[in-house]
Amino acid sequence: MASRLLCASSMIASHLRISISQRGFSSVVLKDLKYADSHEWVKIEGNKATVGITDHAQEHLGDVVYVELPDVGRSVSQGESFGAVESVKATSDINSPVSGKVFQVNQNLSESPALVNSSPYEQGWIIKVELSDAGEVKKLMDSDKYSKFCEEEDAKH
Amino acid sequence: MHVHCSMKCLTDLEMRSPRTLEVWRLGTVNYLKSLKIQDKLVSERKAHQIPDTLLSLQHPPTYTLGKRRTDHNLLIPQSELTKIGAELHYTQRGGDITFHGPHQAILYPIISLRGIGYGARNYVETLERSMIEFASMYGVKARPGNKCETGVWVGDRKIGAIGVRISSGITSHGLAFNIDPDMKYFEHIVPCGIADKEVTSLKRETDDLLPSEEVVHEQLITCFAKAFSYDDVVWKEDPAVILDTKDNE
Repeated sequence: MASRLLCASSMIASHLRISISQRGFSSVVLKDLKYADSHEWVKIEGNKATVGITDHAQEHLGDVVYVELPDVGRSVSQGESFGAVESVKATSDINSPVSGKVFQVNQNLSESPALVNSSPYEQGWIIKVELSDAGEVKKLMDSDKYSKFCEEEDAKH
Repeated sequence: MHVHCSMKCLTDLEMRSPRTLEVWRLGTVNYLKSLKIQDKLVSERKAHQIPDTLLSLQHPPTYTLGKRRTDHNLLIPQSELTKIGAELHYTQRGGDITFHGPHQAILYPIISLRGIGYGARNYVETLERSMIEFASMYGVKARPGNKCETGVWVGDRKIGAIGVRISSGITSHGLAFNIDPDMKYFEHIVPCGIADKEVTSLKRETDDLLPSEEVVHEQLITCFAKAFSYDDVVWKEDPAVILDTKDNE
């Protein structure tokens, strides 16, 4: 319980708000996480990882009405699809930022898929993975790189 | 490559290199075949082997379900389907149950959303705009759906449907616009899972005389290209190239 409180307060402390001027709203990027260019985040704790989609991703999706979760025990590979979210009649694949074995999925998302929108970094987490290759995390972006990446993507239109 | 933009600043050049859309007009294509074609094109688009591509086609009578497999919205037993000359397919697209058939114009864009910085929402909104623009050519005032009612409506009647898949930023599936389909087929489903609304068609909503289907499809394609700001549209002439793809399955 104590470690969870610590975790929560450190997450709040590491909130970094980026203002993306073209769009007029800010997308939240957290300092402690790593990011894939397909807009998934990962939180590494030892050899365990929690995965979800970013605030930028959920904004661009619209209201999530369905989350397709993988089975517990399934392998995932960095960069490959492991599930999907549905919003506005579009299913969008979710790619894993890490490789390993899924040991937990967020069952709450079956009842409440909108958690992905309202709490993308906390209650909207999607899977937890036991890492098979911790070295792969180096290929991901840190929060500064990811913020810049989002700005560049949004500037395209 | 940037010659025609020589007067612009560098960031402008980076953002606005000319965007080409390749269009294949395929006539009537069996649903499963169209899925195989799309899978191949998605891989090729992802590998940057082809530019943004648009398939324009129709299907024989076909009911399809989305990823959520909402088959409670099919109102007749599956065994009855062959009697009415229709197939049923489960797909990976978003959205609920729908019907595709002759005289319904279908567009399947296989495009890179990352190339234009779009997410699902912008993409779907632009698909809606394409159909609204197209309807307006016939004096039909269409509108996007309310929240949770993605698609294009004339009043309370649905004229265009959307169901899309996005995989690593590449789109497949797309939109279906009712030109003059046999509306009886819609009676066997709860279209798009929306129970109390009608389905309509361009034929029903306009007083204008409709030109040939070829012309109508071309107009819809042009509205799509305009809505997505393509600089060049390349009309591919030989559909056999794509239709005769050798399947390894």
